Amino acid sequence: MNTIAVVEDNADNRLLLQAILDGLYDVVEYENGVDALAGLTAHLPDLVLLDISLPGMDGNEILARIRADEGLRRLPVIALTAHAMAGDREKYLAAGFNDYITKPIVDETLLLGAMEKWIAASRAGTI
Amino acid sequence: MTEPTEFVEDGDELPSTDAASLERLMRFGGGKLLSEMISLFITAAPERIAAARAGLDAGDANAAEMALHSLKSSSAQLGAMKMQRLSEAGERLARTGSLDGVAPIVKDLESEFPRIQQWLERSRTAENPS
Repeated sequence: MNTIAVVEDNADNRLLLQAILDGLYDVVEYENGVDALAGLTAHLPDLVLLDISLPGMDGNEILARIRADEGLRRLPVIALTAHAMAGDREKYLAAGFNDYITKPIVDETLLLGAMEKWIAASRAGTI
Repeated sequence: MTEPTEFVEDGDELPSTDAASLERLMRFGGGKLLSEMISLFITAAPERIAAARAGLDAGDANAAEMALHSLKSSSAQLGAMKMQRLSEAGERLARTGSLDGVAPIVKDLESEFPRIQQWLERSRTAENPS
């Protein structure tokens, strides 16, 4: 089973993602950027779901560090955010996220589809 | 599933709650997930409202914005639509760096939450009769 790293400070969102991913993926959870960066390096997942609004180091900074790290830079990373302003999608993709999913999660097939797509691309070496 | 009664604020045409959000949580993880999500919300929402108020009192727009942002997301997931709208309005105002206008929004959140808590607790009981 593929492993997904979930970086999310809110317990309710972690619980929700656990329920959606249950039985489909192994899920490893991190509540902040420092723990996430250490954990990703120690146990490389197949994909990262990264919340943007985190206390301390936010999702944009965590992504920048992932992309600057030789061992992590090719990881598929999907932004999970409740910041849903016009033009945000382009902004996140330009910043180096592979995809962008808005919260609240209404249609889980959008999330699962994006995850499958990027894990496959990562496996094929096309990202 | 038993439909909880929706209520509408006087003078407010937009609904306060959205039962479809709770049905969605049932689909994602059954009555267990719904019940756990409701419990987390009932614990966390007052903490976030208090954090927004503390940010307001301290003149810390960033702290108020973070708290309202979290509250917006959780409220939307749980179908607390009026709380979502209030949090989003407050978040936008706080993001401009100005706390003018955020105080009445936090006050509205404080008065809306107990109503939502009641609605969620009724919904949970309807899904998980003891």
